[in-house]
Amino acid sequence: MAHLTNPLATPSQLFALSTLNSPLPPDLQASIRYYTAHLTQASGLLLRLPQDITAQANVLLFRYWVVDPLMQWEFSDVSAAVLYTTAKISASPRSLRSITNVYAYLLSPHSQLSYMNEKKDEIAAPDPESYYLSEGEYITFRNRILNIEGQVLNALGFNTHVALPHPLAVTYLQTLDAFSTSKGKQVAKRTVEYLNTALLSPQMLYLTTQPNALATAAVYLAAREEGLKMPEVEWWEVFDVEREELGFLVVGMGSLEPFARKEVERWGVNKGMISREMVRSELEKLGLGNINGDGGKGLVEEEDEETQMARMLDEKVAAVET
Amino acid sequence: MTSKMKSRWADDEEDAAAEAARKREKEEKKRVKAEKQRKADEAAAQALKAQQQAFADSESTQIEQTELSNRPSKRRKLSPEREDGGEKDLGPGGGVKLLRFPAVGWSKCRSVEDYEKLNDIEEGAYGWVSRARDSATGQVVALKRLKMDNANDGIPVTGLREIQTLMDCEHMNIVRLREVVVGEDRSKIENIFLVLDFLEHDLKTLLEEMPEPFLTSEIKTLLLQLVSGVSYLHNNWILHRDLKTSNLLLNNRGVLKIADFGMARYFGDPPPKMTQLVVTLWYRAPELLLGTERYGTAVDMWSVGCIFGELLTKEPLLQGKNEVDELSKIFELCGIPTEESWPGFRRLPNARSLRLPKNPVSQGSVLRAKFPFLTSSGSELLISLLSLNPGKRPGAKEVLEHGFFREDPKPKNREMFPTFPSKAGQEKRRRRGTPNAPVRGKVGELGAVDFSGIFAGREDEERGGGFSLKLI
Repeated sequence: MAHLTNPLATPSQLFALSTLNSPLPPDLQASIRYYTAHLTQASGLLLRLPQDITAQANVLLFRYWVVDPLMQWEFSDVSAAVLYTTAKISASPRSLRSITNVYAYLLSPHSQLSYMNEKKDEIAAPDPESYYLSEGEYITFRNRILNIEGQVLNALGFNTHVALPHPLAVTYLQTLDAFSTSKGKQVAKRTVEYLNTALLSPQMLYLTTQPNALATAAVYLAAREEGLKMPEVEWWEVFDVEREELGFLVVGMGSLEPFARKEVERWGVNKGMISREMVRSELEKLGLGNINGDGGKGLVEEEDEETQMARMLDEKVAAVET
Repeated sequence: MTSKMKSRWADDEEDAAAEAARKREKEEKKRVKAEKQRKADEAAAQALKAQQQAFADSESTQIEQTELSNRPSKRRKLSPEREDGGEKDLGPGGGVKLLRFPAVGWSKCRSVEDYEKLNDIEEGAYGWVSRARDSATGQVVALKRLKMDNANDGIPVTGLREIQTLMDCEHMNIVRLREVVVGEDRSKIENIFLVLDFLEHDLKTLLEEMPEPFLTSEIKTLLLQLVSGVSYLHNNWILHRDLKTSNLLLNNRGVLKIADFGMARYFGDPPPKMTQLVVTLWYRAPELLLGTERYGTAVDMWSVGCIFGELLTKEPLLQGKNEVDELSKIFELCGIPTEESWPGFRRLPNARSLRLPKNPVSQGSVLRAKFPFLTSSGSELLISLLSLNPGKRPGAKEVLEHGFFREDPKPKNREMFPTFPSKAGQEKRRRRGTPNAPVRGKVGELGAVDFSGIFAGREDEERGGGFSLKLI
């Protein structure tokens, strides 16, 4: 059974999110989740990780943020730490060096992530200077990742089990005899796309529904879109999904596109990733003030110290080399 | 007259007319009924359409409204076969039994301070184990501390894999991981403890302390429990990769549990590339020693065979000093592999440098001779588990169904199992003699090895000449 089921967030955990992340309004929380999951996905692609690892990482990322506040660590650092750990226990581990390099590139101002919403020919050539990681910067980044790795595992009670709906969805399509028609392949492709997109959902669909329901909803949407004829009965009940649950998921999965468009409008076309700094200034714009008073500031100072350390290390290295 | 006289029973026109009228009536009824059915079907189809339309709308409010206003009637129309069942309950599943998945949650680790340490048990290859009591419930558990050896990679992957695989397991013959707890200082997660079932014994220490080996009936009980645990693991795509007597725990109620999942990992079909640096040397399968990168459940079954042999004699079966020595001991016991008995073994990385005797025909297994008191069914099982060719080793399920467990003496009831004084419960044990599982890292090569001499001096064996290995 463990292969088919996931731990789910409890209603009280979800209810407590607003106090956990106070004073962040729900829409800002959604922005953070969406952009960070987006970044993890992009990193997974650049690291050539199998999609199931990247998907598991994003599920674990959202689970972590049910326990610890969103503003605790820099978002991109949490993404890197979760991806590192997920890959480490999988059959395709990735080195810290590769991960830090990929994140440094994706977070640089002219990375492809920042031009996701523009036409190919408008993309400026990326400037290698902007994503070069010096030895000192690498070490501080690595230490941040390793520290957050422990924090994430602690928050999850070391339970890293994630069951994905993707293989189930393919089985369901086979059960529905979808592959005997010419549309089968296209429907399967759309199904997987819906499932991967749902990983970014601000409704945290992977934390609230079991894989069988996610798979059924994705199959439903894909079949409808591609015009695949489905049985004229409540076929989803065969896959143990209630009609109401299916309806909710179908709406949830379908609402991601308008949501993403709204996010781009809010944060700008060229913003591939948002940072805590940006969220803080957005909060001030909204008149909600600085987050947690000293908590936020303390973290900023800590960062400064770390960059200072990094610079000193680099200077030493340079001195030795010359 | 008579011709005019009609029989009272004969049909006349009136009768015919009446009959026709009846028929018409019947047909009319049928038609109305059919019409009704057709209308009902149409309505159902429309409802289905309407419902699909509703889904098509991505506006959540709209869906909610349609759902709220239409739900009861729509539901009834959608499932006409349930109409006659009277009021359909609108509860979950709407009368259909849907499978519900029990979902556990997740939350922060508790602190190790919630446990009160009683005594140290041992230091394993992957960490310290001590006996402790849960301050809240009073239950006695085993606390295993993860070794943080390579701080540059964060929390060691062996520990994470052990937690990952154990958390997914729920079987009587596999040690239960109750939770993971961490040290009081949460600013840096460095002290990680696995909270495991506490069992009084491990088989290795027991065998060392026992004056006489287990009875055959007891060995059967132990073996059955071991193999049913292994069968569960393999069914769940987990390879243990370090089965040995010191990793098998036994409580005072005769229950055996497999422990120490530091080498365990998930596998697939086809098997992924995995390191061959697994399994403690004395329990390591020949294909691993020959450097295969693709292996499967058969490596665990080899270890089961070694454990079977060890239970019979109280002594580890194949105590090689190093990889080469282990391999030669295996060949000495189980015979020399040939292209017929193990097709393709020559192509394994370390096999190329092997020099085997020219005519190995006579060099079969000496297992039967080594265990003369074992029934033919028992030795058949042992020989099959210790097949050099991994493809010929039986799977866990086959072993469970083996005739050896059905013949006399029958496996002993667990409740009737003898009890022993527990070392782990009271005092620190001495370090044991089994070598540890290999350490992750560089894979050593066997180098060119000449085995042709193994059986050359067999005649001298009684004089204690043994065999000689030549490294070239």
